[in-house]
Amino acid sequence: MSALITLQNIAKVYGSDNTEVKALWDVNLTITQGDYCSIMGPSGSGKSTAMNVIGCLDRPTQGQYLFDGQDVAQLDDDALAIIRNRKIGFVFQQFHLLPQLSALDNVALPMVYGGVPPAERRQRAAEALQRVGLANRLTNKPSQLSGGQQQRVAIARAIVNRPLLLLADEPTGALDTTTTEEVMAIFAELNQGGITVVMVTHEPAVARLTQRVVWFRDGQVIHTHMDPEEISYGTLVG
Amino acid sequence: MDFGESFQMAVKTLAASKLRSGLTMLGIIIGNASVISMVGLGEGGRLYINQQLQSLGPNILFIVPGNRETRRLGGLETSRNLVLADAEAIAQQVPSVVDVAAENTTPGLITFLNRNANASVIGTNPAFITVRNFTTDQGRFLGDLDMQRNSAVAVLGNALAERLFEDQVALGQSIRVNNVTFEVVGVLAVQGSNLGVNYDDAVIIPITTQASRLVGRTSPFGIEVSFISATARDSESLQTAEFQVTNLLRLRHGIVDPAEDDFFIQNQDTLLSIADTITGALTLMLAAIASISLLVGGIGIMNIMLVSVRERTQEIGLRKAIGASQQDILLQFLIEAVILSAAGGVIGTLVGVSGISLLSLLTPFEATASGAAIVLAVGVSGSIGLFFGVIPARQAAKLDPIVALRSI
Repeated sequence: MSALITLQNIAKVYGSDNTEVKALWDVNLTITQGDYCSIMGPSGSGKSTAMNVIGCLDRPTQGQYLFDGQDVAQLDDDALAIIRNRKIGFVFQQFHLLPQLSALDNVALPMVYGGVPPAERRQRAAEALQRVGLANRLTNKPSQLSGGQQQRVAIARAIVNRPLLLLADEPTGALDTTTTEEVMAIFAELNQGGITVVMVTHEPAVARLTQRVVWFRDGQVIHTHMDPEEISYGTLVG
Repeated sequence: MDFGESFQMAVKTLAASKLRSGLTMLGIIIGNASVISMVGLGEGGRLYINQQLQSLGPNILFIVPGNRETRRLGGLETSRNLVLADAEAIAQQVPSVVDVAAENTTPGLITFLNRNANASVIGTNPAFITVRNFTTDQGRFLGDLDMQRNSAVAVLGNALAERLFEDQVALGQSIRVNNVTFEVVGVLAVQGSNLGVNYDDAVIIPITTQASRLVGRTSPFGIEVSFISATARDSESLQTAEFQVTNLLRLRHGIVDPAEDDFFIQNQDTLLSIADTITGALTLMLAAIASISLLVGGIGIMNIMLVSVRERTQEIGLRKAIGASQQDILLQFLIEAVILSAAGGVIGTLVGVSGISLLSLLTPFEATASGAAIVLAVGVSGSIGLFFGVIPARQAAKLDPIVALRSI
């Protein structure tokens, strides 16, 4: 398998001189295509910053970031927007669905920015919703859906542009145990379909469902191939 | 994302909060309605005055005492140097002039039996009725014999006749004008007010009678007049007439230097241009005042859009995360602002046009909503949206998606 994500000596530093905060320092990480991994670490460990850099939402201060063979570390905002639109799907803890749009229109939104013609948009959005098991909820507004259903709409939105990478930020943080299992099952299924899945989580139970854990502490990667079974309360705190 | 997509999205967003969109538009609606109706009102006033001036006839000349300098002093100090003999001389000696009327207006108390009325007493000569293009409703107008004999005869304005006599026949009745008895020989048809003089509420008597019995001689040169009106043979000879009258009067008044002229001549064109200048300035002033409300409406839109950007920070962050460029976001908010202001402009125009129609029903002004005013108002309100929408839209476009997504 070839590498989809290669972080080389990545640093992200906020402020300057004596107020300097090193959110990330000398991070080296490779994620291959088809990988299914979780990013963990105590709060303040830099995992969210790493996630933003990986998701092309933020630029590193130093280092080289190869995404799908392209050096994206210093691209401008609009170029990054195009990469996010075509190659990356996002799933957030708070779903971030637009309340005035139907499930179908929410899912179709990335294709609107991708310039897909309307007829094809509707068809692909319906297919994506079917894939997450919401074929009968196309016209519902988010307020008419349960939390688990809303997150599944968000997943459908994330995969509708057939991304290489599915990036999930605490995707089960707002869900109960049953719906968490449902959502994790969808991630597993999508991963088997060939999509690389990276998720930030602080729940060991969720992390155990992924193939490996990348452990962050103090802005650095401590373990890159931690067995999910090794996660204990102690490692989580420490 | 193309323009059509952005437009649809903006319409959807605005439709989702109808009350807020409506209230935001209200400022522009009021602004636009007032601009349209104020400009319409000004335009109506201009038409009204122009109509009055045009009803004077195109060939008329007004010869007014005083020069431009002394007239500026205005009121009581206006020099009165025109006399009846001037008018007669013009009638006899200026070939391009057909008819000449001299008018002298004084206030008077008119009495019939136990009824009193205050009215203008206008002394004039028989040519008045042809020069001013008036007609009589009953009886006759003043004749040459009345002038020669200083007859105590009077022609009443229509409204005054109605006030004094109500249902009775006015002709042949005796009335008293400042305690001098006059016989009513005619009643004018309704004329309306004209250049500030209400001929419907006036008594018209021979100017000679007026001088000998009511006011006496007030000038060493003869019977003094307020102004002289004359009609030229046709519109081509208007300039000739003006030139000849000027020369004749200078000769009669012994004036060598044109700067010392003690009279000046106005024709319909000069009156029209003076009226146009005044009404144009008035219209502009009304429009300027109304524009302030349009401006306030624009600021209202900016205000609400700024609030909207703040409220929709997460939406903006999400849109950016899934691939919206800065331009997409900028366009989205800009289009929302322009839709609000342009729609407000259209509604405001409808309100303004109906307001004008109402106004022209209730007043003599035939107020009209000019096409130019409508195009201008809608265009201006659209640009107001564009102008005041830029700041909020730029703010939205510049938002950092990470910060925007994390904000709650």
